[in-house]
Order: sequence, then C-alpha cells, then structure tokens
Amino acid sequence: MRRRWSWFQFALVTSFTALAAFMSLPILFIVNHAFKPQNELFLFPPQFLVQNPTLRNFELLFLHASNATVPFTRYLFNSVLVAALALAGVILVSTMAAYALGKYRFHFKGFILSLITLSLMFAPETVGIPRYLIISGLGMNDTYFGHLLPLLASPVAVFLLIGFVSQIPDELLEAAKIDGASHLTIFSRIVIPLSAPAIATISILTFQTVWGDIETSTLFMQEETMRTLAFYVNSLLSGLQNSVAGQNMAAAAGLLMFLPNLIIFLIFQKRVLETMVHSGIK
Amino acid sequence: MGSITFHHVYKNYKGEERPAVHDFHLQIEEGEFLVLVGPSGCGKSTTLRMLAGLEEISRGDLYIDGKFVNYLSPKDRDIAMVFQNYALYPNLSVYENIALGLKLRKTAKHDIELRVGRVARILEISHLLERKPNQLSGGQKQRVALGRAIAREPQVFLMDEPLSNLDAKLRAQTRAELIKLQADLGRTMVYVTHDQVEAMTMGSRIVVMKDGVIQQVAPPRELYDRPVNMFVAGFIGSPQMNFLDGAIIREDGRYWFSSRRLKLPLPETFGARFNHSSRTLRQVVMGVRAEHVKLKADSSLGDGGVWYRGQVQMSEVTGADLYVYVELGEDTVIARAQPERDYPRHASVEIGFQIEKVHLFDKETGISLAAPGGDGG
Repeated sequence: MRRRWSWFQFALVTSFTALAAFMSLPILFIVNHAFKPQNELFLFPPQFLVQNPTLRNFELLFLHASNATVPFTRYLFNSVLVAALALAGVILVSTMAAYALGKYRFHFKGFILSLITLSLMFAPETVGIPRYLIISGLGMNDTYFGHLLPLLASPVAVFLLIGFVSQIPDELLEAAKIDGASHLTIFSRIVIPLSAPAIATISILTFQTVWGDIETSTLFMQEETMRTLAFYVNSLLSGLQNSVAGQNMAAAAGLLMFLPNLIIFLIFQKRVLETMVHSGIK
Repeated sequence: MGSITFHHVYKNYKGEERPAVHDFHLQIEEGEFLVLVGPSGCGKSTTLRMLAGLEEISRGDLYIDGKFVNYLSPKDRDIAMVFQNYALYPNLSVYENIALGLKLRKTAKHDIELRVGRVARILEISHLLERKPNQLSGGQKQRVALGRAIAREPQVFLMDEPLSNLDAKLRAQTRAELIKLQADLGRTMVYVTHDQVEAMTMGSRIVVMKDGVIQQVAPPRELYDRPVNMFVAGFIGSPQMNFLDGAIIREDGRYWFSSRRLKLPLPETFGARFNHSSRTLRQVVMGVRAEHVKLKADSSLGDGGVWYRGQVQMSEVTGADLYVYVELGEDTVIARAQPERDYPRHASVEIGFQIEKVHLFDKETGISLAAPGGDGG
C-alpha cells in the first residue's frame, strides 16, 4: 500500500530533516577537523570538509601525552572508572528515590519534592565552595569518592523517573505484594525493568555530564594521578592554545572526547526505541 | 481452612467524615463463594482490599482461619487476588508471571514447572507460556491472571471485578468456568462486582452494600424473594422492581394498599406485619416485580383480583421474555407478558397485581415491612 502524504506532513518532514541536518553540522565538523593536516587547519577561509585526511594529529597528541608526567592511560582509567561508578550510582539513587516519591505517601513528601525542585535552580558554580567544604570535611580530597559524591544526587534524573514510575499501575505493585515480593523485589523486578526507557535517558544525560566534567578534578583533586581525561584535555588545550602544534592536538582530542558520548548515546538510544516499541506505546 | 471473620470492621479515609466501610460484620465459611455487590463507591472494593492486606483496617478485627490478621502483610495471609485490569507483569512471560509467586516462596524448580504446567492445562493456556502479556487478547490475559492466582494454591481467592474488561460473550463463558473452577478447587472465594447478574449467578451467598454499609447478606434466591429494603429490591433483578407510592388503610375490617389509582386488598397474612404497630396508617411504597404483574390477556389473577386499565408505553423483547411498560396514571409499571403476543404502542391493556407477591416498604426508611424491625413496632 502506498502511503499518501498530505502537504502538511511533507512540509513537516522536510523542515525537520533540514533542521536535523543543520544540528549535525558540528558533529561532522569535529570528525573532519580531527583528520585535517596542519595547513588545512589554518586555511582561511576555513574549509568544512577535510581534503587530505591524515592521522598526524593523533600521533602528535599521543606523543605529547606520553611525555607527560602522568601517563595518558591513567587519566583514561580515572575517567572510565568515575563515569561507570557515577552512572551506576545515579541510576540506583534516582530510581530508588523516584520509586519512593512516585509510589508512596509519607510525611514531608511535598517538602522533599520542593527541595528537589529548589536544587534544580542552583548553577553548579554557586555551590562550588560549599561542595569543597563538604568534600574536604569528609576527607574525600584525592579519592574517587570526591569525584562521585557531587554527581550522585541528580534532581533532573529523579524528576524524569518520578514521572515514569508514577505511571506504573498500582495494581502491578499490589499483585507483586500479594505474590510475596518484598520492596526490593518489587523495585528490582518490576519498577526497574518498566522504567528502562527513562533509565536509558538519564544514562545518556549523566554520562555526558560526568565525562565532560572538570570541576571535581579542578577543585577536589590535588594529585595529578586522580584527575580525569576531561581535565587533562582541557588543560592541554588551554596550555597549547597559542602554539601551532596545539591546534593539531586540540582537533584530535576534541574527537576523542566526543566519541564515547556518541557511543553511549547510540547504545541507549536503541534501547529507548526498543522499549517504546515493546511497551506498545509507539 | 479458609474461613474468614470480619468483626465490626471500619475503614476511615483521612479527611473524609463518613467511613468508606461502616461496621462490616460477617462470617465467611470455608469453601464459600461469597459475592460483594453494590454500586460504585459502596465500599465493596475497599472491603476486599482490607481482606487482602492492601488497605489498613481503621477499626475492628479480621480473622482468616481463626488467625488475627489485621497487621499481617498480604503475602503472609495465604490469599491470591485477581485484579480488574489483570495486573500482569508486562516485562515477564506468561510462564514467569504464573511462576513468580512460587519462586518468591522458594518453591523447588521442578515443582514450579509441574504446577505451572498443570494450571496452564486447566486454563488451556499451555501454548501461550512463552508469550509476553501484550501479545495476549483480553480473555487470555484474564486466564493468565487467574492462573497466577491458582498456581499458588492459596486458602482464599479474592477477585476484584475480574470479568468487567471482557466482552459480553466471553464474560458469560468465563463466569461459568469460574463457578466450575471454584467448585473443583473447593477454596473460599470472595468476589467483588457491580453487576447484579454476575452476583446472582455466581454467589452461594451475596452481600449487598451501599454507602459502606451492608444492606443484606443472603443466598441469591432469598435476596430476590425477600429483599430487606428498597435499595436491595431495586438493585437485584432485571428489569428493576416496580415501585408505587401509596398508603395502608383500614376499611371494612381489612387492610388495603391504596394510592390515587389503585386500591388493593392485602392478604390476611400481611396483617401481622403492621397489625401490632400503632393504629395510625402509614405511608408505604409497594414493590412488585415484573413477573408478578399480569396482563389480563395472558392470565387470570384468581379470586378478588382487580384489573386496572393502562396504556402501553413501549415493549421490550429479551428473547424468552417480553416486558411491557404500561402507563398507569403517573406511574409506569413493567409487566412480563407472553412473548407470542404483540403490544403496540398506545394500546390499551389491563393489568393486575399478584397481591401475595408484593413487597411493602416504609416510605421514610425504605425498610421492608416484612423484615425484622421493619414494621416500626
């Protein structure tokens, strides 16, 4: 059967395709830029697409990194570890909070909800000093806890999940209760699987925040070995800003920092769609 | 095993003055099929949920098998519940749905397989075990929900309007299967519905509720023949019982029911019901079921029968029966007629009342004069 398109649908699809194409330009630029030889990097007017792709930029970056006091792999390890732990932590804390807030009635629930709303209004910069005092007070400077603690409470994730969890029918939870399920069983076997799309979404958001975060490395980590890749790349770039070779490395580093974001996004994006289709929402 | 005792149970919701369930006092015997019926908001579901342990009991005691269970969690009450919207776990297969309760109770794996297999055979869902709930039709989902309850082999089954999401044909079929299933299992079943037909056909005993208060507890036949008040009389039975306002008067040494249009001599046996009350005549409502209103063309009334002329408003064929709506003054009376005949609109017919079958209710309280305490004495 041939599908008939109304002019409105046609206009809608065309304009959104155009918008999507425009929005993807920076991604295209990052990828192209990373493979440009030096003369193309400094070309004026600048060229969007790479003419003679080369891996020279990556070579330079790795050469530079291997000369640093702390090996590149250490930053990478720190970043991967922190991102993984933060992701797991945020998912656990947020889903548990959302289950309690979305499905149960208890004292001060309204107060807690408004506190979460309130915390959404603070820019991270404004809480830098209190955060530092808390982290150093707890003796978490130069530990992985120092990276994780500020990231664990994610009001956005909690809000997203509350909306999702509260839509799970009460009868499901009651049926599970009668079946003999404890709170933990209900949580792990029903609430978590049914919130998968929301969890995928907050995973993407959280990973992007954690992966690109330099605040915890700057403020709470005095030892270089405890700092993350984002911090390293950032300081590398700001240190090399004016040198000619710096532009090569910056282009390569930009792509390297961006790739994990893209991969995570693609993995979870698929999951989001799958879950949507399975649940019959479509 | 499986007996239930409600001892003056109340349910109060915060911020609501009237209790949702008021003084629910009832003994349910082992193996009984008890149906709670009433209009929405009458407290029947709340009662069931208190029994399940999903709702706290505000006042009163609840016993299952003689054991005090007010504070026992649902999983320790040895009950299973079937919900109106089935409440199947959408992320688990049919097999896992049925098996979860057993798994959580640490049943051995081979035993689980055995039991799920048996339940699936009984309910004819063996071919669906691998599917997810969203791949099932409404009727199949309903069976899986039932299977989940049966597999656990609980002492008491609780059902909260389990058939109301099914279409009419499937509902009738499942109703029959449920009756058979309950008889086979021999377990206590407490069943909530708003459908009086379901209640009448399924229950060995029926509890009619309204506004959180039990109106009457009786087997179906008794409920139909001897309703204690106007609410029960009107709620049970289809078409609804005819209600006619009037008064009891005493004339020529006997009692009469009298309204603007009617004057019916009441049988001597009725006398006892209001004889010893004060001599003042009382305002009553006469209730009479359609099958006790006769059309002169069909039948005779016996001695002393009085015929009244009225006009046919409309007639309703239900297949085996024909109901004729007859206008009698400002009242409309529904009469059951022989289905072979034809009653055109506006035709003039004569109807009469089988006086020994009528019910009399106090106009103020709505309580049947035949009920204990209903004579106002």
